[in-house]
Amino acid sequence: MNGEDLHYGILAEFDTPAATMAAAEKVRDQGYSRWDVHSPFPVHGMDEAMGLKNSQVGWFAFLGGAIGFFGGNLMIWYMNSFDYGLVVGGKPLYSAFSSFPVCYEMTILFAAFGSLFGMLILNRLPRLHHPLLKNRRFAQVTHDKFYVVIECDDPRYDQDDTHALLREAGSRHVELVRD
Amino acid sequence: MKESIGANDKGRLDLSGWAHWPDRIWQGGAALAALGLVAGWFSGGLMDAFAATYIVAFMFYLSLVLGSLFLVLIHHLFDSYWLVPLRRLLEHLSCQAGIMGLFFVPILGIVLFGSAYAWTQPEGQDHSWHVKSIMYNPVAFTIMSALLFGVWHWLANGLRRHSLAQDNTGAAAATHAMRRYAAGGIFVFAFTLTLGAFYWMKSLEHQWFSTMYGVYYFAGSVWVTLATVYVLTLVLRRTGHLAKVVSPSTFKDIGTLFFAFTVFYAYIAFSQYFLIWNANIPEETYWYVKRDQGLWHGVGLLLIFGHFFVPFLLMLRIDAKLSLTVMIPLGAWAWLMHYTDMSFNVIPAFDWSQAGWSVKLFGLLTAVGAMALMGGALARFLLRDLAAHPPYPQRDPRNAETLNVYVEPLSARSARSSEE
Repeated sequence: MNGEDLHYGILAEFDTPAATMAAAEKVRDQGYSRWDVHSPFPVHGMDEAMGLKNSQVGWFAFLGGAIGFFGGNLMIWYMNSFDYGLVVGGKPLYSAFSSFPVCYEMTILFAAFGSLFGMLILNRLPRLHHPLLKNRRFAQVTHDKFYVVIECDDPRYDQDDTHALLREAGSRHVELVRD
Repeated sequence: MKESIGANDKGRLDLSGWAHWPDRIWQGGAALAALGLVAGWFSGGLMDAFAATYIVAFMFYLSLVLGSLFLVLIHHLFDSYWLVPLRRLLEHLSCQAGIMGLFFVPILGIVLFGSAYAWTQPEGQDHSWHVKSIMYNPVAFTIMSALLFGVWHWLANGLRRHSLAQDNTGAAAATHAMRRYAAGGIFVFAFTLTLGAFYWMKSLEHQWFSTMYGVYYFAGSVWVTLATVYVLTLVLRRTGHLAKVVSPSTFKDIGTLFFAFTVFYAYIAFSQYFLIWNANIPEETYWYVKRDQGLWHGVGLLLIFGHFFVPFLLMLRIDAKLSLTVMIPLGAWAWLMHYTDMSFNVIPAFDWSQAGWSVKLFGLLTAVGAMALMGGALARFLLRDLAAHPPYPQRDPRNAETLNVYVEPLSARSARSSEE
């Protein structure tokens, strides 16, 4: 077991969103892949500064929505028209119009399921513990500090180089996070 | 999605060679429309063709003016930063309400002297006419129409006046004044737009009931305005006017709102249809039954697929909102769809059973004429206003945020210096 195995990653603290954004751009341009930015509130433009691609959650939401819409139609057609025909207000047993409001709600419900579970799957959640939560300094992330964290697993990670990079990027506090 | 909006644009676009086109277009349109009016004077059938196509064109362009006014209003109400670079364009567009008032005169003439609006003819009317005649009579129509244009003119110009004043002074008071306009203005806007849609479009079939008709017109109006603004912003960025202040995220935001209104329009249009379909009351269903005859059945389907499904599915992906190959054709498509929507609302209200091919061909001519007349004139005055003033708010408090620049508040700076 070498020293790096005891560490989760390296953490750099910033005071403003602008400084964090500039640091994120530097880290991105160095080609790091296993790293993240943590902030007390969403920062506009951060995904671009981090070089993040469009999230794949949309596919889950779309799939969920499509299942909800067509599944809803199928359900209504089966129940009200096929299995037990029910005449309501002299309307056709099955009509795209009367079933639409329900299918529309089903679309939203299943799209929401899709995005929730898609997000959980893609983030490999739920997980019971994260090394950052042990770090006392990191608690400030819910208050007024911003953090760039680069994991030791990153192929480009080098304790000294990465430390220097984050210092150069303007962080006044850089520390190793224990795993 | 080959070509998409990047951070830097290729060469500057020079449109000065096209500057005289708006004049040519509106003059050509005016000639055609005048021809329509004169021909209509001698023949009832031709008058109907002129009136129908003129009202369609009028409601179409009114959509752009009111849609812009709405975007300016919500910009202030939500204190949004992303709309700041586009606000001047929207202000200029909304200030064309006066020009639209001028184009309203022929419609007033149709009401006072013509028969296109059935409620102007007292013979053979039913109970609904007697009840609604408080609202639908020439005097109320004239007064209310004048009032509506007056209110829009006052609201749009009030907002623009403070915005232009802020270019010089940079005063926060201007922002506060605009917010006050917007806070009251949004209510005034909702009522006046609804009245406009009722008086000028819905009252063609005054027997009909639909309380959501106003919001239906509103949804379509903001929808087509957003499509137009997207393309105009693209052009103004290429010409250099907005090059410094508009970023890909601006386009993403307009695109997102455009997408949202695609859904909102469909929601409203469906709800109107669905409630009437479900209740199945003849006083209401006749409106849709009429629009299920002949060609109009196909037009209705075109609206369902073209106004909703095509834009909805095309813009579903986030990157599609930045793709020029999607968004530019979609902008033109939105114009076509909104025009179709206005036609679907207006044209079947007239009795075309006696109309031959010549009348329909003549209608096509006046349709082109009315669209060219109003479009050309609006473009002309929009360009005049754009040339007369800075292309975007120069000293809006949100400018720095729009450009993604952090400016430390004065209070924070002085607090820090007292610490040191």
